[in-house]
Amino acid sequence: MPIVLELITIIKRLELLNKLNIKKKRNMKKIILPLIALLLPVVLHAASGANELEGGFKIGPAIILITILCAFVMVGIIFRAKDTTDFYAAGRSISRIGSGMAIASNWMSAASFLGMAALMYGSGYHGLAYVVGWTGGYVLLLILMAGQIRKYGKYTAADFIGDRYYSQSMRAVGAIIAILISISYSVGQFAGIGLMFKWILGLNFMWSVIIGGAVVLTYTLISGMLGVTKNMQIQYVIIIVSFLIPLFILTYKFDYFWILPQIGYGSVVSDVTYGLSSSDISQLANSFGHGYAITPSPEYSMPWDPATGKTFFQWMAIAFSLMIGTAGLPHVIQRFYVVPKASDARWSVVWGLFFICILYWSAPVYSAFGKILSANPEVGKLSKDAIVVYTAQLGSVHPLIVGLLAAGGVSAAFSTVSGLLVAGASAFSHDLYVKVINPEAAPKKQLMMARLGTILMAIIVTSIALLDLGLIGQLVAVAFSLAGCTIFPLFLLGIWWSGSNRQGAIGGLIAGGLVSIISIVYFIARKQGVILPYHEFISYYLEAWYFAWIGAPIAIVTNIVVSLLTKETPIEIRKFLIEKVHT
Amino acid sequence: MNQENNYHISFFRPTTQRAKTNRNTVLWLISIWAVAVFGFHFLLRAIEKPTPEPELISFNEVWKDVKAENASVEEIRIFAKTTLHVAGKVFITTEERAALDNGISWAIMQLADSMQKLSLKDALQEFETIAEKNLVVTNEDYVASKKKLGAIVQQILNLNPSSVLATILPLEIKSSGLSVLSVENMTIIEACMPKYMIHNRSVLTDTKFLGFPFHYFYTAVFLLILFIALCYAYCVRVDNYNKKVGIAE
Repeated sequence: MPIVLELITIIKRLELLNKLNIKKKRNMKKIILPLIALLLPVVLHAASGANELEGGFKIGPAIILITILCAFVMVGIIFRAKDTTDFYAAGRSISRIGSGMAIASNWMSAASFLGMAALMYGSGYHGLAYVVGWTGGYVLLLILMAGQIRKYGKYTAADFIGDRYYSQSMRAVGAIIAILISISYSVGQFAGIGLMFKWILGLNFMWSVIIGGAVVLTYTLISGMLGVTKNMQIQYVIIIVSFLIPLFILTYKFDYFWILPQIGYGSVVSDVTYGLSSSDISQLANSFGHGYAITPSPEYSMPWDPATGKTFFQWMAIAFSLMIGTAGLPHVIQRFYVVPKASDARWSVVWGLFFICILYWSAPVYSAFGKILSANPEVGKLSKDAIVVYTAQLGSVHPLIVGLLAAGGVSAAFSTVSGLLVAGASAFSHDLYVKVINPEAAPKKQLMMARLGTILMAIIVTSIALLDLGLIGQLVAVAFSLAGCTIFPLFLLGIWWSGSNRQGAIGGLIAGGLVSIISIVYFIARKQGVILPYHEFISYYLEAWYFAWIGAPIAIVTNIVVSLLTKETPIEIRKFLIEKVHT
Repeated sequence: MNQENNYHISFFRPTTQRAKTNRNTVLWLISIWAVAVFGFHFLLRAIEKPTPEPELISFNEVWKDVKAENASVEEIRIFAKTTLHVAGKVFITTEERAALDNGISWAIMQLADSMQKLSLKDALQEFETIAEKNLVVTNEDYVASKKKLGAIVQQILNLNPSSVLATILPLEIKSSGLSVLSVENMTIIEACMPKYMIHNRSVLTDTKFLGFPFHYFYTAVFLLILFIALCYAYCVRVDNYNKKVGIAE
């Protein structure tokens, strides 16, 4: 039984959900609107606490955040799937644009919302490799996979791998990889949640991550199963609106072309590059009262500038690794299973990419403004991953809007991480426990295993996030490289070459896995201060954020060579590929 | 056996007209994608030239004498201004800033006359004492002492008070660095000046487009538009082909 159908069975068992009906939808709406009306003045008054860059409990942003999270849960309940068909074909009742919004919401995480601006703030043009990598991968995903994946008709990456390579062991390995990718991806999200909770609650990073982790776990257990498309569309609107409003304000306030900040900030980039004298615009200042000025800093915009410590090779390797990683991420691939037709799968990518690009065109604006507004040494060293919020604060944007921005960052992380935890828990309970370990498990037991898996994953992810191993964007990039070395070759060859057989898949997986293990072991060792042999060479060419540049080609070549040397793919699989996938 | 051989899928050896059309479309789009992303950056790499900022050329002209401690007043002034220029840059590290601060402080002391030295020391001591006590940069005492120190050092270095360098100068003066420019810090300064003032530039980076340096616009804005256009073109092409041959998905 497909995982989605099983999830529906689980949902049906939740009494709370089964009791809700159309009448209660109306009641919910009656509750939400007065609640917002009541809270708004309180939030407006309390938002004054958002002025501080660090420290102090900020009640306004806290109320905004709680309101948004409650709204997500309520929307999830109101628009929940009424029956199996409704949930199974989530896209049937919505347009391609709506489906694209759901893809974008699923995709836009703390790495997009907070991490991208941080990467550009910290390393200038080098950060654009992440922007290009995370968007260019959708071209590969669309033209090489989207339609075919939908036609194949499986519901998880592990299902596809198990069926295409006719092996229960491969299914189990696929599930384990999906769990590892979910964990790796979630670590960056937890770090982002921790940072924003730190900003809102005024606690240290450790407690912020623990509290943030507990909140996201509770949120996931309550709403995780309600992740229907309608909720994702609303999440997208909240995330993108909270991200865009400060940009219009900043560009207007500092006298740039504010009608389209994504173009208007070109002059901000040039101002950072060629310098800006305070005498020219003496009336403009940051929230500290420092003049809006900066010494010429071409290192911000020039490619692979020596000042950033980044090279041409690293730019190319990151862009390539992220692109193939995008086309191999299980939770992204899974989005195509819930659309009714292959053509819908294709068009939803176009719209999804467009909605994602709105955010990706905008993120560099924060980093460019951040550079000028924090140029005075008195501002001090700022946490790069929180630069989006700091920029808005330094630009004296209204505290309520800064609070909304921070809440948008947490929402972006929540919307992705709850999906990842559910996907990881599904892989654990469905692909591993039910399909491999205990096929006779009762639905109650399955539900228990899914919950146990969610809690276990949250604990593991929180523990790793506490180690503070890197920037959010970099931590998420590890998941992309892992997916690029393992899942991507299996899908690419599995769809486009019937000659790829079980032995080839195992060989390719071992090769890609080996590259991944070497890179990650060296990365962890370095972080722990342990120097392993050839560490400089490995750290440079197989850095944890871009090892897929070589790992994926090695995995693909190994898969092909081993497949050619071993027994042919069974006729049933080849027949299925021709008759179902490529017709 | 013969029939079994018919059941074989290979992207590069399509067996049907539809598969051939799809392969050609995919190859075209991937070629455009690859050339636009990687081809452009190879081009950027091929035509770039490491270009020093004018301040680095000035620094290199005086550095030898400053290092040998036989620099003229004008040379020390140039040294102070160029190191201050780098101290105001965006990616500077804490260690490098400390070394540059030592260089700037030492140079200011060398340039000051005896009266200025006395007032500089007093103003600096007052500023550092207040700065230690106050974490808030808007504190009135802090602002006043910074202004007082700023007026002295700006005069010594002949800086326009409203310039960016004049704004950051009082923050880069440290009493611990007034008397000696240490050998260790000299080494750091020597290394970080070219690091921060040589940039990979070309016609693609120096041309402006919609306010952006062209290469920045191309990567941050245009490539994303291109990706959407490629996806759109693929969907239209597949839909049109399916319609033409009467395939309903």
